[in-house]
Amino acid sequence: MAELLQPDSRMCNYFFLYDGSKVRGEADPTRDGICYFYPEETPLDKQELLCGQLAGVGRCVSELSSSPARTLRLRRNKFAIRMKDDFFWALGCSVDVPTVSVSEFLDQLIDLFCFYNGPVRQSYQLNSQETLAAQWARYLSHLQSGSSELSHIFSCLKTIDSTNVDPLLLLKAALILQACQRCPLVLAGCILFRGRVVSTQMSPGLTMKVMIHESETYTKAQRPNGTSASSSFSGTVSSTTVFLTAPELQDLQSAPVDKGFSCPTTPQRDGPSKKTRLSRTLSDTPPPESQVSNPSLSKPPQKASLSPRLSDSDVFSPASSHSAANSFNPSPQSLRFLSNGENTVEDEAEESRSRDSTGGRSQIRSEGDGSVFEEDSHLNGGEGEGAFGGVFEFQAVESGNEQPHDDKVVEEDSRVSRGSVSGHKAGKSDPPPLLPPPHRLSDASEENALIPMTLYMHRVKGLVLALLVEPHFMSDATSMEEVYHSSLASLNGLEAHLRTISPGAPGGPGPYTFAHFDCIQSTLTTNLSGRSGGAWDQPFVRATSLLHSHFCNTETLQEAIIRNASTAVYGTRSVAQETYFQQNGGSLRNSGIPNHQDSAFSLPSKARHRLLKHGVNLL
Amino acid sequence: MKCLLIASESAEMLFYWTDSEFQQNIQKQYGASQEEGHEVFPAFEDSISTLFAPIIISFSTMVTEADSYTSFTTENNHIYVLHQFDECLYIAVNGDGEEKEEDLRRKIYVMNKMIEVLFGMVTLSGNLLRKLRARDTEQRLRLWKHLQSLLETYSHLQENDQSFLVEAVERLIHPTLCEQCIEFLERRLVQQINSSVERGGEEVLHAFILVHTKLLAFYSRNASILSTSDLLALIIMAQNMYPSNVDVDDPSPEDIDSTSGSGHESFYTPEPSPTDKDSSSSKPVRGSTPVFEFVDPDIQMAEDSLSTLEVYPPDPATPHKVFLEVSQKDGLYPMMPHSMYCLKLWPGITLVLLTKFPHSGVAMSVYTFWEAFAKLEKRLNEGQGGSTRGQPMHEVRSKLDKFLKTLALNGIQSSQLQNVWTEFKNRAFSRGGPGFSRLILWCKNMKTQLCGIYRQCFLSDSGPDDTPRHLSPGLRERAQTMVEQLMDWKDFLLVKSKRNITMVYLEDFPGLVHFICVDRSSGQMIAPSLSITERTTSELGKGPVAQYIKNKMWSLVSTTRHYLQKGYSTLTLRDGDFYFCYFLWFENETGFKLEAKDIPIMPDDSAPIGMLAQNHYKLLRYYNKNHPGETVKCYELLTVHLGVIPTEIILQHCRQLASKLWEPSRNPLL
Repeated sequence: MAELLQPDSRMCNYFFLYDGSKVRGEADPTRDGICYFYPEETPLDKQELLCGQLAGVGRCVSELSSSPARTLRLRRNKFAIRMKDDFFWALGCSVDVPTVSVSEFLDQLIDLFCFYNGPVRQSYQLNSQETLAAQWARYLSHLQSGSSELSHIFSCLKTIDSTNVDPLLLLKAALILQACQRCPLVLAGCILFRGRVVSTQMSPGLTMKVMIHESETYTKAQRPNGTSASSSFSGTVSSTTVFLTAPELQDLQSAPVDKGFSCPTTPQRDGPSKKTRLSRTLSDTPPPESQVSNPSLSKPPQKASLSPRLSDSDVFSPASSHSAANSFNPSPQSLRFLSNGENTVEDEAEESRSRDSTGGRSQIRSEGDGSVFEEDSHLNGGEGEGAFGGVFEFQAVESGNEQPHDDKVVEEDSRVSRGSVSGHKAGKSDPPPLLPPPHRLSDASEENALIPMTLYMHRVKGLVLALLVEPHFMSDATSMEEVYHSSLASLNGLEAHLRTISPGAPGGPGPYTFAHFDCIQSTLTTNLSGRSGGAWDQPFVRATSLLHSHFCNTETLQEAIIRNASTAVYGTRSVAQETYFQQNGGSLRNSGIPNHQDSAFSLPSKARHRLLKHGVNLL
Repeated sequence: MKCLLIASESAEMLFYWTDSEFQQNIQKQYGASQEEGHEVFPAFEDSISTLFAPIIISFSTMVTEADSYTSFTTENNHIYVLHQFDECLYIAVNGDGEEKEEDLRRKIYVMNKMIEVLFGMVTLSGNLLRKLRARDTEQRLRLWKHLQSLLETYSHLQENDQSFLVEAVERLIHPTLCEQCIEFLERRLVQQINSSVERGGEEVLHAFILVHTKLLAFYSRNASILSTSDLLALIIMAQNMYPSNVDVDDPSPEDIDSTSGSGHESFYTPEPSPTDKDSSSSKPVRGSTPVFEFVDPDIQMAEDSLSTLEVYPPDPATPHKVFLEVSQKDGLYPMMPHSMYCLKLWPGITLVLLTKFPHSGVAMSVYTFWEAFAKLEKRLNEGQGGSTRGQPMHEVRSKLDKFLKTLALNGIQSSQLQNVWTEFKNRAFSRGGPGFSRLILWCKNMKTQLCGIYRQCFLSDSGPDDTPRHLSPGLRERAQTMVEQLMDWKDFLLVKSKRNITMVYLEDFPGLVHFICVDRSSGQMIAPSLSITERTTSELGKGPVAQYIKNKMWSLVSTTRHYLQKGYSTLTLRDGDFYFCYFLWFENETGFKLEAKDIPIMPDDSAPIGMLAQNHYKLLRYYNKNHPGETVKCYELLTVHLGVIPTEIILQHCRQLASKLWEPSRNPLL
């Protein structure tokens, strides 16, 4: 995948957070309500004008329609709006960006803030405006970093280029994550390499949130919540408090059968539907540690300071030494819900919340192959240890023809799995109540709850293992050590391998341009090279943007061809993906009258053939 | 939940229309702030203007910052669209999901078009247009009611009539009958009226017969052309006067709740002839105008309102003033005054005559001067002041001096214009003239004064000639013969208008569900009838199925417009079980297909694509011109096929339809 980097392609023209509660009286100046304004160098008059007018109009419209305003469009800018309590967020973009994308971007930004800082009102009570302004600025620049025009349209995860990576490495990464999950305090994790996802167990949304921490760790001196370093682990481990929404937590706690636990890029090769179940005990047979001990795999790191971000002193400055784990240590019950006014619950929240975790799990079970899951469910059903379900599913790293073999493994291992799980449990003397009872989560009054959790990060040069863990994980020396030591060697090995992989050369402008978006995993594959700025790119991006909006707004639409005098673009979508294809060069010119010889109408078949070699199957 | 309102820059409500749901909603909100049990609703007009005031004021604030609002949406999918025409801000709201942003924008533009047709050049002056809000409440309500009913008629047509969906005129396809009628209109109607002595300076320019909304016959005298935009607007007015309930199958007598109130009388049983009751009530106060001193010219003109317009003529033979585009050899004159006689021959069948005003030359002069000052103002705004004393202005100077003398001879009150003009001359043509900003102001004043003259001549009863009614008696006789002529055809026509084209050619195009073909150069469309009533069965089935196809068609048209706005002239969509195609192409006069050119990409808030409010296709044709003077024809074809039909077959059908439909000899539908 070509690097999608355009220096001047920032999406956001304006962003501000305005607190209406600070401007109540006639005499209160508008500037008092401005919590954050981007770009920060905007003259204050202009800031006041925009905040005052937009917030005023937003409020007026909300009153007229008895519903919060969503977008305010001007001739030159379009603003996505969120209104919650007295807070008013506005994100202004160029009018060319699809409205759906702008709204999505704003949601992401607010979610990101809440993820690291907790409820907005509360964080503004606890922290200074300047500190939080730095946070907003950082999230904003992170979300816009390295973005191309295509990524303005699709909000997608950055993944490593799977075409250059040995699939075994991806499998290895997945196994590391599974091994970590054996500790009951670990909810889920992901592995990142130089800002790109190698493997993740989390939803794309959550992975995206976790990813920012990696780029942030060097500036952590400014962090309000305090990132803590555990001195016993040679300075490569850090942690920070993060806040999950109830549905996010529920998703993590419910059986992972539901989710795609693998490197997101692999299904593009194998087709999205091919899934193989692997018992986590598969990792018992060849333990990751032993695998890495294989000399051929674990080459000693050759360049110790590959990346500046690895500087220890930088990462662990004394300023942040107070431990998040300490502040959130005792009695998880009391900490679980920070009831507040912030609505960070996403749209799908209602849906996922409506099934309680136990019921949801057994429902999913029943869809799977019976033998494994029936046995399993009684193990987990009453215990409430969702993340510890004993059975994992992840999308095959191997190609599909190995599926029968894998299935067999699952069946054979299921018994072992059960044994190992219970054994592990028995070994722990006093497991604290890990999760709130399910009914608490579906309690309507807790709708806006943000639940504090801890993000644990283990860095090995360019490689980062990020785990979402229970808050008291950091104080549980046994668990921490176990996770640390069980993964250390594998991470080293993985890093060494990934480091040697040279990035694929960016392809020049080919005979066609395509973009393939995987809606489930939020990944984008394209041969569009942002840097070359080819003559065909601009029309393609414009058409893609239009078609994407159209697909979003029309559920029944399956495919479309749009054509003007010089270009024709074909777009097709299914539940899982959207694909756009344009034939470059050649003569398209004709009169525009219906003509079956018009090359525009042969685009669907061309797309089908050409894209096969990119792992996109449109058949 | 729908609403449309027009406000002045100072947040004064010039006009509003709401549906009952919106009204209830507003009243509920207003009621909530009242004491419980004691709900005294303030006048609805006040509530609505209070509620919208912050938006209107914020709009003006943002305009001064060189950006302005175009639309808002809320989480429950309410849509607000805002657009400013000169000094008037239009806001359209939808809260029931039935209209999209484009629909609301179109509604705003159509409303503006209707106001232009009704008030002519007065719309070019915000100060004069402010008189939409008459001081007298009763008068105001009457005028608003008329506009509201026009808007409702338009919305109904736009939602139900294919020709208003694509904004092109649909003809009744029956060549023989059509020819007979045209001949009749020419020989027996127009020629005779124009040669009669009782016409009193009026001259019939156009005559046409409508069967519901479809055009049966159209005759134009000379080479004068009635633009499609104006024709569509006139059809809306005719429908508003004599609404035809398209959902009823047999042509029934007028519905009782017809909006016009004149529904009971048919033309051939005439009521007692009308007297001059209207003009007597609001007799002009020509002599009583105080001697001009330098006052703000608008203040005086604001005193009287657009009085003649609010009363709908009680007699069908009483003409309406309408302001239509006239294209002459020396240029295009928009909003020239005409009289529109609209006569009901039978319920559902209407005869419309358009006559020229005896003094319409004044309107042309006024427009020419107005345009000159508008151009000068624009130049000054752009900072090219040097050309002020250039040749064009000197020419205007002598012409305007002459024009003022003519006005005085004709007894038209022009002292205000005279004074402003003198002042302007002093400033503009003296050496070392004033700063540009002062001159810009005087340009504005001149424009306002010119519009004032226009209004005086054509929109108030104090015009140079009394409202022309000379045609009425003669017209009745002529129309009576028309009635006799068409007697045998009446029932046929009424049925034909419902089932103009039916899909009887299915064997030629297997899998074709529906199509619309539009000739944008002539502004005409052809499409099979979409009958969606319970009682009739069309080829599309009846009830829900036909309704479904109809909805698909409507959404397809809006989709294609969106892509066309973004420069895409060909579109195919696989949507559910259907396959949609859209093609737009250009031909020269001989039918040679012109090579496609890149067409302009418009911003989202540009004028809606269509012909009623603004003729977008004219622009497209212009872009496709290789040589000046070349005639370029523009065609559109939309088709709906079943999704199972192979694409090659679909394209073949499209090609056949595209090539055959406009050639009568090969048209499979005839």
